[in-house]
Amino acid sequence: MTKHEIDCEQALDQLIEFVDHELPEGKHSAMQHHMRACKSCFSRFEFERRLKEKLGTLRDTEVSSDASERIKRLLKSF
Amino acid sequence: MSVSRETFESQVLGLLGRLQGVARRLTRNDTDAEDLVAETVARAWRALDTLEHEAAFRGWIFRILNNTFLDECRRRGARPRFEPLDCEAPEGDEEQQFSIFEQMHQPFLLWFSTPEQEFLDKLLREDLERALATLPECYRIVVILSDLEEFSYAEIAAALGVPVGTVRSRLARARSALQKILWQQAKDIGLAAEAPAENECSETASAPRATAGRRKKGEVT
Ligand SMILES: [Zn+2]
Repeated sequence: MTKHEIDCEQALDQLIEFVDHELPEGKHSAMQHHMRACKSCFSRFEFERRLKEKLGTLRDTEVSSDASERIKRLLKSF
Repeated sequence: MSVSRETFESQVLGLLGRLQGVARRLTRNDTDAEDLVAETVARAWRALDTLEHEAAFRGWIFRILNNTFLDECRRRGARPRFEPLDCEAPEGDEEQQFSIFEQMHQPFLLWFSTPEQEFLDKLLREDLERALATLPECYRIVVILSDLEEFSYAEIAAALGVPVGTVRSRLARARSALQKILWQQAKDIGLAAEAPAENECSETASAPRATAGRRKKGEVT
Protein backbone atom coordinates (compact mmCIF):
# COMPACT_ATOMS: atom_id res chain seq x y z
CA MET A 1 0.00 0.00 0.00
CA THR A 2 1.54 3.28 -1.04
CA LYS A 3 0.74 6.65 0.45
CA HIS A 4 -1.31 7.43 -2.67
CA GLU A 5 -3.88 4.72 -2.01
CA ILE A 6 -7.30 5.74 -0.81
CA ASP A 7 -10.16 3.74 0.65
CA CYS A 8 -13.78 3.58 -0.51
CA GLU A 9 -14.94 6.25 1.88
CA GLN A 10 -12.39 8.74 0.60
CA ALA A 11 -13.17 7.70 -2.97
CA LEU A 12 -16.90 8.35 -2.53
CA ASP A 13 -16.21 11.68 -0.85
CA GLN A 14 -14.32 12.84 -3.92
CA LEU A 15 -16.53 11.15 -6.49
CA ILE A 16 -18.38 14.24 -7.69
CA GLU A 17 -15.18 16.20 -8.15
CA PHE A 18 -13.63 13.24 -9.92
CA VAL A 19 -16.58 13.02 -12.32
CA ASP A 20 -16.30 16.77 -12.90
CA HIS A 21 -12.52 16.62 -13.47
CA GLU A 22 -11.99 19.04 -10.61
CA LEU A 23 -9.46 17.08 -8.56
CA PRO A 24 -5.81 18.12 -8.52
CA GLU A 25 -3.46 15.78 -10.37
CA GLY A 26 -2.34 13.66 -7.39
CA LYS A 27 -5.84 13.03 -6.07
CA HIS A 28 -7.11 12.40 -9.59
CA SER A 29 -4.61 9.62 -10.20
CA ALA A 30 -5.28 8.13 -6.76
CA MET A 31 -8.94 7.97 -7.75
CA GLN A 32 -8.12 6.38 -11.10
CA HIS A 33 -6.06 3.82 -9.27
CA HIS A 34 -8.89 3.07 -6.84
CA MET A 35 -11.43 2.78 -9.67
CA ARG A 36 -9.27 0.18 -11.38
CA ALA A 37 -9.05 -1.84 -8.20
CA CYS A 38 -12.53 -1.44 -6.71
CA LYS A 39 -15.52 -2.74 -8.61
CA SER A 40 -18.05 -1.19 -6.28
CA CYS A 41 -16.72 2.37 -6.55
CA PHE A 42 -16.18 1.91 -10.26
CA SER A 43 -19.87 1.00 -10.77
CA ARG A 44 -20.91 4.04 -8.80
CA PHE A 45 -18.53 6.21 -10.82
CA GLU A 46 -19.84 4.80 -14.09
CA PHE A 47 -23.38 5.61 -13.08
CA GLU A 48 -22.59 9.23 -12.18
CA ARG A 49 -20.39 9.68 -15.24
CA ARG A 50 -23.05 8.38 -17.61
CA LEU A 51 -25.78 10.47 -16.03
CA LYS A 52 -23.63 13.57 -16.46
CA GLU A 53 -22.91 12.58 -20.05
CA LYS A 54 -26.64 12.14 -20.73
CA LEU A 55 -27.39 15.55 -19.28
CA GLY A 56 -24.67 16.96 -21.51
CA THR A 57 -26.62 15.87 -24.59
CA LEU A 58 -29.43 18.24 -23.60
CA ARG A 59 -27.24 21.24 -24.30
CA ASP A 60 -28.86 23.24 -26.98
CA THR A 61 -27.24 26.12 -28.78
CA GLU A 62 -29.83 26.85 -31.39
CA VAL A 63 -30.35 30.52 -32.21
CA SER A 64 -33.11 31.57 -34.54
CA SER A 65 -32.02 33.99 -37.26
CA ASP A 66 -34.43 36.58 -35.81
CA ALA A 67 -32.79 36.39 -32.40
CA SER A 68 -29.36 36.56 -33.94
CA GLU A 69 -30.31 39.60 -36.06
CA ARG A 70 -31.71 41.30 -33.00
CA ILE A 71 -28.42 40.92 -31.09
CA LYS A 72 -26.40 42.10 -34.09
CA ARG A 73 -28.55 45.22 -34.36
CA LEU A 74 -28.16 45.78 -30.64
CA LEU A 75 -24.37 45.48 -30.85
CA LYS A 76 -24.30 48.04 -33.69
CA SER A 77 -26.30 50.46 -31.57
CA PHE A 78 -23.65 50.61 -28.82
CA MET B 1 -11.94 49.69 -20.88
CA SER B 2 -10.58 46.20 -20.40
CA VAL B 3 -11.57 44.71 -23.74
CA SER B 4 -12.19 46.37 -27.07
CA ARG B 5 -15.54 46.79 -28.72
CA GLU B 6 -14.51 44.25 -31.37
CA THR B 7 -13.62 41.71 -28.69
CA PHE B 8 -16.90 42.29 -26.90
CA GLU B 9 -18.84 41.74 -30.12
CA SER B 10 -17.01 38.62 -31.13
CA GLN B 11 -17.31 37.14 -27.62
CA VAL B 12 -21.04 37.84 -27.52
CA LEU B 13 -21.64 36.38 -30.97
CA GLY B 14 -19.47 33.37 -30.17
CA LEU B 15 -21.45 32.64 -27.00
CA LEU B 16 -24.86 33.57 -28.37
CA GLY B 17 -26.09 30.02 -28.84
CA ARG B 18 -25.09 29.04 -25.34
CA LEU B 19 -26.54 32.19 -23.79
CA GLN B 20 -29.76 31.53 -25.66
CA GLY B 21 -29.80 27.87 -24.61
CA VAL B 22 -29.32 28.65 -20.93
CA ALA B 23 -31.83 31.51 -21.10
CA ARG B 24 -34.41 29.15 -22.59
CA ARG B 25 -33.95 26.73 -19.69
CA LEU B 26 -34.24 29.49 -17.14
CA THR B 27 -37.33 31.16 -18.63
CA ARG B 28 -38.84 28.02 -20.21
CA ASN B 29 -40.06 30.22 -23.02
CA ASP B 30 -38.49 31.30 -26.35
CA THR B 31 -39.69 34.91 -26.34
CA ASP B 32 -38.65 35.55 -22.75
CA ALA B 33 -35.33 33.88 -23.48
CA GLU B 34 -34.64 36.23 -26.40
CA ASP B 35 -35.55 39.25 -24.27
CA LEU B 36 -33.34 37.99 -21.47
CA VAL B 37 -30.35 37.58 -23.78
CA ALA B 38 -30.85 41.03 -25.31
CA GLU B 39 -31.13 42.64 -21.88
CA THR B 40 -28.05 40.72 -20.73
CA VAL B 41 -25.99 41.92 -23.68
CA ALA B 42 -27.11 45.53 -23.11
CA ARG B 43 -26.24 45.35 -19.42
CA ALA B 44 -22.93 43.66 -20.15
CA TRP B 45 -21.97 46.46 -22.52
CA ARG B 46 -22.76 49.08 -19.89
CA ALA B 47 -20.81 47.14 -17.27
CA LEU B 48 -17.84 46.42 -19.48
CA ASP B 49 -15.35 48.05 -17.10
CA THR B 50 -16.20 45.40 -14.48
CA LEU B 51 -14.70 42.73 -16.75
CA GLU B 52 -11.12 42.27 -15.66
CA HIS B 53 -9.73 40.40 -18.63
CA GLU B 54 -10.96 38.63 -21.71
CA ALA B 55 -10.37 35.14 -20.27
CA ALA B 56 -13.04 35.84 -17.65
CA PHE B 57 -15.63 36.80 -20.26
CA ARG B 58 -17.74 33.66 -20.17
CA GLY B 59 -18.19 33.54 -16.37
CA TRP B 60 -18.76 37.29 -16.33
CA ILE B 61 -21.52 37.38 -18.93
CA PHE B 62 -23.28 34.33 -17.54
CA ARG B 63 -23.30 36.05 -14.18
CA ILE B 64 -25.03 39.02 -15.78
CA LEU B 65 -27.48 36.64 -17.44
CA ASN B 66 -28.30 34.97 -14.14
CA ASN B 67 -28.69 38.29 -12.30
CA THR B 68 -30.82 39.74 -15.07
CA PHE B 69 -33.05 36.69 -14.89
CA LEU B 70 -33.44 37.00 -11.12
CA ASP B 71 -34.16 40.74 -11.41
CA GLU B 72 -36.78 40.08 -14.02
CA CYS B 73 -38.44 37.44 -11.83
CA ARG B 74 -38.59 39.93 -8.96
CA ARG B 75 -39.87 42.70 -11.16
CA ARG B 76 -42.74 40.57 -12.36
CA GLY B 77 -43.43 39.38 -8.87
CA ALA B 78 -42.92 35.88 -10.21
CA ARG B 79 -40.11 35.03 -7.87
CA PRO B 80 -38.18 31.87 -8.49
CA ARG B 81 -39.90 29.17 -6.50
CA PHE B 82 -36.86 28.97 -4.29
CA GLU B 83 -34.76 31.98 -3.51
CA PRO B 84 -31.03 31.25 -3.54
CA LEU B 85 -30.84 31.00 0.24
CA ASP B 86 -33.29 28.13 0.27
CA CYS B 87 -30.78 26.14 -1.69
CA GLU B 88 -28.49 25.90 1.28
CA ALA B 89 -28.80 22.61 3.09
CA PRO B 90 -30.73 22.66 6.32
CA GLU B 91 -28.41 22.31 9.31
CA GLY B 92 -27.25 18.75 9.80
CA ASP B 93 -28.67 17.63 6.48
CA GLU B 94 -25.35 17.33 4.66
CA GLU B 95 -25.41 13.54 4.68
CA GLN B 96 -28.94 13.17 3.35
CA GLN B 97 -27.88 12.74 -0.25
CA PHE B 98 -30.22 10.82 -2.51
CA SER B 99 -28.61 8.42 -4.95
CA ILE B 100 -30.36 6.33 -7.59
CA PHE B 101 -27.31 4.11 -7.59
CA GLU B 102 -27.81 3.30 -3.93
CA GLN B 103 -31.50 2.67 -4.50
CA MET B 104 -30.94 0.22 -7.30
CA HIS B 105 -27.51 -1.29 -7.15
CA GLN B 106 -27.49 -4.94 -6.20
CA PRO B 107 -23.95 -6.04 -5.51
CA PHE B 108 -24.88 -9.73 -5.42
CA LEU B 109 -26.64 -9.86 -8.75
CA LEU B 110 -25.30 -11.80 -11.67
CA TRP B 111 -22.63 -9.93 -13.53
CA PHE B 112 -24.79 -9.25 -16.57
CA SER B 113 -27.48 -7.53 -14.57
CA THR B 114 -26.82 -3.95 -13.51
CA PRO B 115 -30.23 -2.40 -12.85
CA GLU B 116 -28.84 1.09 -12.33
CA GLN B 117 -27.14 1.03 -15.72
CA GLU B 118 -30.32 -0.28 -17.33
CA PHE B 119 -32.17 2.56 -15.67
CA LEU B 120 -29.85 5.01 -17.44
CA ASP B 121 -30.29 3.19 -20.75
CA LYS B 122 -34.05 3.62 -20.49
CA LEU B 123 -33.94 7.30 -19.57
CA LEU B 124 -35.23 9.38 -22.42
CA ARG B 125 -34.33 12.91 -23.33
CA GLU B 126 -37.84 13.97 -22.27
CA ASP B 127 -37.37 12.41 -18.84
CA LEU B 128 -34.21 14.42 -18.31
CA GLU B 129 -35.76 17.60 -19.69
CA ARG B 130 -38.75 17.26 -17.40
CA ALA B 131 -36.63 16.53 -14.33
CA LEU B 132 -34.36 19.47 -15.07
CA ALA B 133 -37.33 21.80 -15.54
CA THR B 134 -38.73 20.64 -12.18
CA LEU B 135 -35.56 21.52 -10.26
CA PRO B 136 -35.61 24.72 -8.21
CA GLU B 137 -33.87 27.56 -10.10
CA CYS B 138 -30.78 27.77 -7.92
CA TYR B 139 -30.16 24.06 -8.39
CA ARG B 140 -31.08 24.10 -12.06
CA ILE B 141 -28.53 26.75 -12.88
CA VAL B 142 -25.59 24.81 -11.38
CA VAL B 143 -26.59 21.63 -13.18
CA ILE B 144 -26.95 23.53 -16.46
CA LEU B 145 -23.59 25.25 -16.08
CA SER B 146 -21.74 22.14 -14.97
CA ASP B 147 -23.32 19.27 -16.88
CA LEU B 148 -24.65 20.99 -20.01
CA GLU B 149 -22.26 23.89 -20.46
CA GLU B 150 -19.23 22.11 -18.99
CA PHE B 151 -18.14 25.06 -16.89
CA SER B 152 -15.41 24.47 -14.32
CA TYR B 153 -16.26 25.04 -10.65
CA ALA B 154 -14.26 28.28 -10.80
CA GLU B 155 -16.31 29.52 -13.75
CA ILE B 156 -19.58 28.57 -12.07
CA ALA B 157 -18.39 30.41 -8.96
CA ALA B 158 -17.75 33.49 -11.09
CA ALA B 159 -21.09 33.14 -12.86
CA LEU B 160 -23.05 32.88 -9.63
CA GLY B 161 -20.91 35.17 -7.50
CA VAL B 162 -20.35 32.53 -4.81
CA PRO B 163 -17.23 30.79 -3.47
CA VAL B 164 -16.01 27.58 -5.15
CA GLY B 165 -16.83 25.59 -2.00
CA THR B 166 -20.45 26.70 -2.32
CA VAL B 167 -20.52 25.55 -5.93
CA ARG B 168 -19.28 22.12 -4.86
CA SER B 169 -21.87 21.67 -2.12
CA ARG B 170 -24.69 23.15 -4.17
CA LEU B 171 -23.87 20.84 -7.08
CA ALA B 172 -23.91 17.86 -4.74
CA ARG B 173 -27.36 18.82 -3.47
CA ALA B 174 -28.60 19.71 -6.95
CA ARG B 175 -27.60 16.31 -8.34
CA SER B 176 -29.15 14.60 -5.36
CA ALA B 177 -32.39 16.54 -5.95
CA LEU B 178 -32.29 15.77 -9.67
CA GLN B 179 -31.84 12.05 -9.01
CA LYS B 180 -34.72 12.12 -6.57
CA ILE B 181 -36.97 13.65 -9.24
CA LEU B 182 -35.82 11.17 -11.89
CA TRP B 183 -36.40 8.34 -9.46
CA GLN B 184 -39.88 9.54 -8.61
CA GLN B 185 -40.74 9.95 -12.30
CA ALA B 186 -39.48 6.46 -13.02
CA LYS B 187 -41.46 4.98 -10.15
CA ASP B 188 -44.59 6.79 -11.31
CA ILE B 189 -44.42 5.07 -14.69
CA GLY B 190 -43.32 1.77 -13.22
CA LEU B 191 -39.83 1.92 -14.67
CA ALA B 192 -37.99 1.60 -11.40
CA ALA B 193 -38.27 -0.30 -8.19
CA GLU B 194 -36.00 -0.42 -5.18
CA ALA B 195 -33.55 -3.25 -4.97
CA PRO B 196 -35.30 -6.06 -3.12
CA ALA B 197 -34.29 -6.57 0.48
CA GLU B 198 -31.52 -9.08 1.03
CA ASN B 199 -33.78 -11.90 2.23
CA GLU B 200 -36.04 -11.63 -0.79
CA CYS B 201 -33.31 -12.41 -3.25
CA SER B 202 -31.85 -15.55 -1.78
CA GLU B 203 -31.73 -17.19 -5.19
CA THR B 204 -29.62 -14.39 -6.61
CA ALA B 205 -27.46 -14.24 -3.51
CA SER B 206 -26.37 -17.82 -4.11
CA ALA B 207 -25.67 -17.17 -7.77
CA PRO B 208 -22.04 -16.88 -8.82
CA ARG B 209 -20.55 -13.56 -7.81
CA ALA B 210 -19.40 -11.19 -10.48
CA THR B 211 -15.78 -11.67 -11.27
CA ALA B 212 -13.46 -8.71 -11.20
CA GLY B 213 -12.30 -9.21 -14.77
CA ARG B 214 -15.70 -8.85 -16.42
CA ARG B 215 -15.16 -5.31 -17.58
CA LYS B 216 -12.10 -3.63 -18.92
CA LYS B 217 -11.09 -1.33 -16.14
CA GLY B 218 -8.39 0.54 -17.92
CA GLU B 219 -10.98 2.80 -19.48
CA VAL B 220 -11.49 5.10 -16.56
CA THR B 221 -10.78 8.62 -17.60
ZN1 LIG C 1 -13.97 1.52 -3.44
